[in-house]
Amino acid sequence: MKTKDEIIARLKKYPSDTPSKWAETARWRKENRRWLRYSQQIALMMLDAMEKQHISQRQLAERMGCSQQYVSKLLKGQENLSIETITKIEDALSLTVFQGEYV
Amino acid sequence: MRFDSITEDGRLWSVRYENQEDNALFMAFDQWNDIAWLRQFFKENLDDLESYFHITNVNQAIYDTLDDSEQLECLIMDISPDADLEAIFRPLENSRTSEMLLSREKARLQQRPHHASWLRIYAIRLEKGIYIVTGGAIKLTRTMQEREHTLLELQKMEQVRKFLLENGIIDEDSFIEFLND
Repeated sequence: MKTKDEIIARLKKYPSDTPSKWAETARWRKENRRWLRYSQQIALMMLDAMEKQHISQRQLAERMGCSQQYVSKLLKGQENLSIETITKIEDALSLTVFQGEYV
Repeated sequence: MRFDSITEDGRLWSVRYENQEDNALFMAFDQWNDIAWLRQFFKENLDDLESYFHITNVNQAIYDTLDDSEQLECLIMDISPDADLEAIFRPLENSRTSEMLLSREKARLQQRPHHASWLRIYAIRLEKGIYIVTGGAIKLTRTMQEREHTLLELQKMEQVRKFLLENGIIDEDSFIEFLND
């Protein structure tokens, strides 16, 4: 029966060509969890609105004046959105992301 | 097939399949944090969500997945050198009591409010305390054979098990020796 060290040594003979980004990404998700959750909520609002209004990613990109690739990234819910981008999303999909006025 | 070490001490590994940008652990958490992917998945599996979990709101299912994914990811990130991996991974077959060489294992959150967690990380146990993650899935049905995406995870586990034997990472002699013990 092989020992633990032998097994680990054998596994090390099959390394990936590039290092994994898992640990780095997991740390990033943990550190940025608060704004990520907002980004995820906005992505969900966008997807629901797109479905209701029968709007494709390409059409939304045209309305927002950006690339389809960028819309695809937004819909993953992992983008740190600027206020300008949020406003473009609101206009393009007739959505209200920011509720009410601060008085 | 390649292997990435997840913990520095070499107790937890993850498979990187051919033509994949990163390993199976990365790919699972990447999907579980992708809103567009999650929404599509739950829309396609809404019947299972309703039948097995009595949840009809896709958005609720997405938020539950995000919460569970965060906790599960922290659990793996926080594995310390003295942590017991045997407490994180459990036999895939709930009924299995005896040890098996290259056994199929799963990790899941043990406790969450309102309903059981549907997130699973699948792994092969090489030795006591040494595991290789083979994939992950959202399991909504009672058995893995019932749905294509969970059936695929069973096939991946078999593929990895075969690779480990064919490439002598665990050799046939050990396998036979173990079976005779």
